Amino acid sequence: MIGFLLRRLVMVVPALFGLLVVMFLLVRIVPADPAAVLAGDNATVAQIEQIRQTLGLDRPLYEQFWLYLTQVLQGDFGTSLYSSRPIGADIALRLGATIELTLVSLVFATAVGMVLGVLAAVRRNSLIDYVLRFISVGGLALASFWIAIMLQLLLSMHLGWLPLRGRLPASLPAPPHFTGLYLVDSLLVGRLDIFVASLSHIVLPAFTLSLAGLAAIVRFTRSSVVETMQNDFVAYERAVGYPQRRIIMPYVLRSSLITPITQVGLMFGSLISGAVAIEAIFDWPGLGFYLVQAILSSDYKAILAVTLVIGVIYAFVNIVVDVIHGLVDPRISQKG
Amino acid sequence: MRKLVLNGASALAMLSILASPVAAQSANEIVWGDLLPAALDNHVALDQPSQMVMLNVYDGLFRYIGNPPDLQPWLVEDYTGSEDGLTWEFTLKPDVKFHDGSVMTAEDVVYSFHRVLGLNKGAAGTFTPILKPENITAVDDLTVRFVLDSAYAPFLAALPLVSIVNKDLVQEHEKDGDWGAEWLASHSAGSGAYTIDPDTYRPQENLTFIRFEDHFFGWDDNPDPIEVVRAQPIQETTTRVMALMSGDIHATDSYLPTDQVRRVSSTEGVHLAQDESMRVMFLRMNNSKPPFDNINFRKCVSHAMNYEGFITGILEDYAVRNPGPIPRNLWGSPDDLVGYTYDIDLAQEYCDKAREEGAPVDREIEIYTQAQLEQTNQVAQVLQAELRKVGVTMKVIPANFFNLVAMMGTAESSPDMWVHWVSTYFVDPENWIGQTYDSAFQGSWRGSSWYTNPQLDEMLRSARVELDQDKRREVYEEASRIVVDEAVDVWVYNTVQLRGLSDQIEGYKFSPIGSGADFRYLSLKN
Amino acid sequence: MLILRRFLRDVPAVIGALIVLTLVIVAIFAPYIAPRLAEAFDSNLMMRLKPPSADYPFGTDGLGRDILSRVILGTRPALAASLIVVLGAMVIGIPLGLIAGYRDGWVSETIMRVTDVFLAVPQLVLALAMAQILSGGIWSAILALALTYWPFFTRTVYSETRRVRSALFIDALESLGASRLRILTLHVMPNVAAPVIVRATAGMGFTILTLAVLGFLGVGAAPPDPDWGLTIAESRQYLPQSWWYATFPGLAIFIVVLGFSFLGDGLRDLVDPRLRRSR
Repeated sequence: MIGFLLRRLVMVVPALFGLLVVMFLLVRIVPADPAAVLAGDNATVAQIEQIRQTLGLDRPLYEQFWLYLTQVLQGDFGTSLYSSRPIGADIALRLGATIELTLVSLVFATAVGMVLGVLAAVRRNSLIDYVLRFISVGGLALASFWIAIMLQLLLSMHLGWLPLRGRLPASLPAPPHFTGLYLVDSLLVGRLDIFVASLSHIVLPAFTLSLAGLAAIVRFTRSSVVETMQNDFVAYERAVGYPQRRIIMPYVLRSSLITPITQVGLMFGSLISGAVAIEAIFDWPGLGFYLVQAILSSDYKAILAVTLVIGVIYAFVNIVVDVIHGLVDPRISQKG
Repeated sequence: MRKLVLNGASALAMLSILASPVAAQSANEIVWGDLLPAALDNHVALDQPSQMVMLNVYDGLFRYIGNPPDLQPWLVEDYTGSEDGLTWEFTLKPDVKFHDGSVMTAEDVVYSFHRVLGLNKGAAGTFTPILKPENITAVDDLTVRFVLDSAYAPFLAALPLVSIVNKDLVQEHEKDGDWGAEWLASHSAGSGAYTIDPDTYRPQENLTFIRFEDHFFGWDDNPDPIEVVRAQPIQETTTRVMALMSGDIHATDSYLPTDQVRRVSSTEGVHLAQDESMRVMFLRMNNSKPPFDNINFRKCVSHAMNYEGFITGILEDYAVRNPGPIPRNLWGSPDDLVGYTYDIDLAQEYCDKAREEGAPVDREIEIYTQAQLEQTNQVAQVLQAELRKVGVTMKVIPANFFNLVAMMGTAESSPDMWVHWVSTYFVDPENWIGQTYDSAFQGSWRGSSWYTNPQLDEMLRSARVELDQDKRREVYEEASRIVVDEAVDVWVYNTVQLRGLSDQIEGYKFSPIGSGADFRYLSLKN
Repeated sequence: MLILRRFLRDVPAVIGALIVLTLVIVAIFAPYIAPRLAEAFDSNLMMRLKPPSADYPFGTDGLGRDILSRVILGTRPALAASLIVVLGAMVIGIPLGLIAGYRDGWVSETIMRVTDVFLAVPQLVLALAMAQILSGGIWSAILALALTYWPFFTRTVYSETRRVRSALFIDALESLGASRLRILTLHVMPNVAAPVIVRATAGMGFTILTLAVLGFLGVGAAPPDPDWGLTIAESRQYLPQSWWYATFPGLAIFIVVLGFSFLGDGLRDLVDPRLRRSR
């Protein structure tokens, strides 16, 4: 297992390094001028030139890269061109919100997706199956930012059932920071009101974010259950006259749910992508929101940093999923 | 299935009842839904939202109050200026306390101006041509002396641009000669009516202001001030207005699009504050690039713009036509200035004339807009549709302000046209016409018309050193007529600022500087 | 013919094919189909934000333009841009995949490690960052998407090539003295073509979706383009009154992407019956 982990790390580290190189070069070869960003509204030409020198933008490229690399390896992403604050700290402040949102979406998508998938498989070719199959393709075809706006329009603006934006109403303080997840932190300090409020705030963004993943899980679960049900053993049991439910529950489910779980790694990628637009729409103060802000204000240092951090998280999740997969199915980790 | 839907609906409704915001708001606390500045340290980055911090957290030697803005001594008790306008002495009020309790002295003022000049960002551009750091000195504990290199008429008018910071506190946090910039990006070192809570500060998310009881101005004028102001920007206008209407926030930004205005006006419990500001919309033309080097073509564009249609149709008359570069409610803008009117036949005539004179009228014109500011896209598309009628093709290219600024370095790389506003940084015609059409400003975004006229340069420079305001008025009126006759740019309107406010807010006081975000006047009615 | 008949029995696939066919026809003839071509681009300030009616079935937008015409005209940039992205990604990705799959050693290794770099971050995030850095606009978005999409093709082609190569006949051909180029184009390519076509079809829909997100976030298409994602972004400030403004462009995205998904699924079932959804 340790060898397997090492092999995965050996693959991930060069990829992340390559990402850093590609992004760094892109930032440096484009015409837009970080110095102009920093100089602000009323800058004169001379001011911009001076800033360019203090930023080291007049030094050779390899020197700039080396400097940046050594900083990043120490966990220092520099200060934002926009707010002059340390980027690393600002990213850390936002991790909790994104993790909370993606986790809730992930759990929701997996749980509901599996139930619906099994339902579709068991009632194969019934009306429910057709509806669910349409949903499982349709969910992937929906623009999540559009459905988010539509649900916001209906449920928040017209009906007023759910909050429009944010993690908490302005009248409630954020719970003390333990995990960064308000749902957990509020319970840890016994503030049920904050828990309920943050639950009501997360419903819409998490639901819209989960749709694509939900569709995928329904689909995988269904085909995986169908496949298991058609193998010889089940066919035999059925022939012998076991009741349907007795066959499905203990045997089919156990053997067929492994496949969709392996999709979680892939799904996480789509969740992170989806979170960018969803967080922007719901003012959800996470990494995606930060990235969009950085993009709107041309804060290249922040864009670079967020991309790298997402890369690291993504790699980490994939390794974790692989490890779990390896534990469930030892053949994987031996193959490498 | 129907039962499931109903259950879902009632569960949602339950959640919303449990989470309704009546819960915990403390008596004297409001939520301010306006944009936050890019940086808390306005010596480093000065944008329009910076005024929220400058007015509340810091004090300046002078301050603009009211509308039309009146320049009043603020930290200053007494001041003298020499005949030639070069030497200025300011005596500070005694017992001005910083938030940490220490007393403000002349040294703090000197340090603050040194810091602005030393960082050479933000407001520095206004002072560097006339002021050297060594010529700012403390005469005694409460007296500061400035000796200017040359007379500068708007000197007093520009003083509110510099917030006075607590020297000892900032110096404590200096790092490798950074003037404490890293620390001040997330903290404050002021003496203003409110102090900020650095622990809850998140850029573009939350900034909490807490009332400073020992503010030098005292609180006699407002016996029931707001104790805590939480500034929480909401990115999307619609969401912002909904939040106001549902009572989540007490104020929106002050640039509500007119389509939202009707909703605010017709909703119980909230109202609209409507004030004419000093913020002029400019459609810049690059006078150095054909066909814009042809005056007839520029006149063609000027007549093709549907001013009335835009102001009435899209802005629903929440804006006032401004025929020249200086806001019409400021001195220096001639009362009888007519400017250009929308006249498509006249535009056609001018364009034909330009074509006859060999101007490449048929080449595709590019107009850059600021992608995030919907109005710049709208105005460009209105002009685009009108120009098509006279056979001019125009392409609209939305861009980002910073990328645009990077293009303005040379006449070659500057865009054919672009859209922006000139807001109030200091209240003087210099802010609108002087720093825009004096050819010395070419190369920055302000000089992006690339219009060079030695006679105009001469006039604007003389107005800058002339101390007699009546004489300056004459010069600026004459200069306005020149740039209008020459059709250097297209000026569209002067802004009416629109802010949605909760009826609970009392004492709201608008000024073009800060747009009413001066919290010390506000109180909360139940 | 057997294949065609099998395809025609697959109802969703046929629906998908019809949607895609309609899309292509609408895109080609958009200016003739759009009922109010002039009002698709010219602002008409008197007609702003009108709800759907007989004259304006989808209503009008914030500048008084006809949304139906704009949705119809929007088929062009959507289809063209995603076609360029997918073709671009194929042009980069397929040859690299062939080479990596066919050769051993450091060339193959290098190519596959480079794909790792571009797969290290979810595609949308990387494309978003790149498009902004390339200074935004539709061409930046197209370039960024193509640059982040090719590794998917490389991966597909790589594994297919490996599979084909390990089949005996390639060794036989090599020992007969056939040139490498000849083997690749005549023998390997045909075997890889099917999965590539399946991936490209599904990829078209996916790319239309991603382009819409970029347009929505302000780093893709720019006004006055009738881009669907951009229109939805523009509509937000007119909510909740002008519900039609965002609704119809969003539906257009949904239907088009759905069409490509159905078609892609159908094609995959034909190519690889092992994965059939509906047994």
